[in-house]
Amino acid sequence: MNPSNSSSWVAALLMATLSNATPLILAAMGGVLSERAGVVNIALEGLILAGAFAGAAFGQQSSTTGMIAVLIVGAALGFLHAFLTQKAKMNHVVSGLGITLLVIGATRYLNLKFFATGLNIPGIDKQVFLILACIMPFAVLFLLNRTTFGLRLRAVGENPESARMTGISSALPRYAAVTLSGILAALAGAYLSMGDARTFSTGMSSGKGYVALAAVIFGRWNPLGATLGALFFGFFFSLQSQMQIFGWKLNFLGVEWTSPILLDTLPYVMTLIALLSTVGRATPPAALGKEED
Amino acid sequence: MTGKVTMGGSLGKSLLSILAGLLVAGIIMQVSGYNPWQAFSALWQGATGLHTGTAAPNDLSLGAGKFAIHLNRYNLAQSLSKMTPLLLCGLSVGLGLRAGLFNIGAQGQMLAGALAGGCVGFIGAPNGTFPMVLHIPLVLIAGAVGGAIWGAIPGIMKAARGVHEVISTIMLNFIAINLATYLVTHNLKDPTPGKMAAQTAPIAKSAWLAPLVPGANLTAGLAVALIAAIAITFLFRRAALGYEIRAVGLGADAARTNGIAVEKTVIRTMAMAGALAGIAGAIEVMAIHHRFMPSVSANYGFDAIAVALLGGLNGGITLAAFFFGALASGANFMQLQTQVPESIAGIVQAIVILFIGIRTFKPKQSVLVAALLDDERRLDDEPF
Repeated sequence: MNPSNSSSWVAALLMATLSNATPLILAAMGGVLSERAGVVNIALEGLILAGAFAGAAFGQQSSTTGMIAVLIVGAALGFLHAFLTQKAKMNHVVSGLGITLLVIGATRYLNLKFFATGLNIPGIDKQVFLILACIMPFAVLFLLNRTTFGLRLRAVGENPESARMTGISSALPRYAAVTLSGILAALAGAYLSMGDARTFSTGMSSGKGYVALAAVIFGRWNPLGATLGALFFGFFFSLQSQMQIFGWKLNFLGVEWTSPILLDTLPYVMTLIALLSTVGRATPPAALGKEED
Repeated sequence: MTGKVTMGGSLGKSLLSILAGLLVAGIIMQVSGYNPWQAFSALWQGATGLHTGTAAPNDLSLGAGKFAIHLNRYNLAQSLSKMTPLLLCGLSVGLGLRAGLFNIGAQGQMLAGALAGGCVGFIGAPNGTFPMVLHIPLVLIAGAVGGAIWGAIPGIMKAARGVHEVISTIMLNFIAINLATYLVTHNLKDPTPGKMAAQTAPIAKSAWLAPLVPGANLTAGLAVALIAAIAITFLFRRAALGYEIRAVGLGADAARTNGIAVEKTVIRTMAMAGALAGIAGAIEVMAIHHRFMPSVSANYGFDAIAVALLGGLNGGITLAAFFFGALASGANFMQLQTQVPESIAGIVQAIVILFIGIRTFKPKQSVLVAALLDDERRLDDEPF
């Protein structure tokens, strides 16, 4: 391979990494907000899928309408997760899984009923989402560390009892944080349908919500750390397509290691390895997932 | 990491959750332009096989004339065949929940079991010279071992490094699906010339489970699942391991203080949960597909979460597995009859999960522990 070829390969891999990391970063920022407020957010997966569907279903004529639908659906489902965990005192994982399964069922049903012939949408330039993903980590960092709201959010996530004694109710910051996280995850979904695929396919979130959550843990609940985590996983998501484009092959011991099917497992394997190396050293927000009496 | 999971609850609450799910489904069908009454009627007929009107040739009939009720044995058998993996995977998820572990990985464990069971099923293929009475139990054992290995991985990760099992089991599902897809398109692909499908060659006939109703998928696999349900009930009523699992589920610190090896219990629980799902995979291979393919696990792993949460543990999971099996099979029939997408069943399932999880009344931890210990007589003389 000559030098010019290899530099273009590196550039292509970097671009692909950024593209693949974009939805992960957006969803991970939602995860950071929610979890720093003390609410486990397994619902991210469903929220991404819901955002992807809303953007495609309402974005056929105008992308603005599509974007508005994405924001509304994300906020509504985020609010639902907050309501179920806070008001109905539901186990956070049960609520998150329930919402995700609801979105999977509902998007299947609606897609088959109304868009059986397939959706084609004008979409939005990928770069819009890329810029959002570059700004958002700093915005969340600022929100958490430099605003009163952020202080309250962290207070109810670390010690809701003390927060309550100083007159901060845990309800408001948590509702706000989880609703915001719904919007961010839905934006990640909008990237998938409106920015990338320009269509919707069932199950297109393909575990990105869970990977984003792993990035949050990997980044120790810090927005910039979670972003690094998302870039790390984004790299492994992009490796598969890049290997194929450049036609690299590696056969060893009767196994085709460069098979796209095997390379597809890389982000998931790396998630496991990353968690194995992180957890134990990382401390989650003290009140994460706990309930008050 | 998360608060107490509500499993089961009173019969009234379970029925209310189911009603809520069906009501939401009805509203969705009405709003999207279907006739919900027609759809529910088809759903019922597909789920239970019971119908009025004219009897089909093979129907069992009760009464005569206008008021006769007919039973379509094929439809009922299909529901019971879907119940089989749901029951085993529901027990798998339920077992984990008792130890405070969220096993979302039944799908991957089922695949691992199906793969291991399938490999053993190849002994003597294609004609099957191996005696059936040995072959079928061997495939079941291989399935249990395969599932147990895949289930033990998140258990070890949790015990050794505190990796949360929700994320690790989901990642292992994705890995299992891709590995399975790779194997059936490469090393284990059906070598028959001209066969392009991503699946293995058929297993030996001596490992095929025979259908109990002609044409339907119901086999003696259901009996295996029911025996497993009884065994799990026994485990929690009588066995020391069951007590340890419950103690870990109630609180790892308290369990450790009482001399229970928490890490070992976590790994054991996850391995056993994996084994249950693995048996489900082996049964699906022997009963329905007669070969290994990635779609063996379908969506049973996730459906099982609804089964476990609705069912609780003792006996409830069996009823819940029948309900969701009938719902899935009925929805299939409904789509054929009325064009209503069968994914409406997924919506019902999600609504049931969300309703059963609601806890308007939350007892304090100490009261909860006391209540749970109350029905466990063997703990009477032990401080906890």
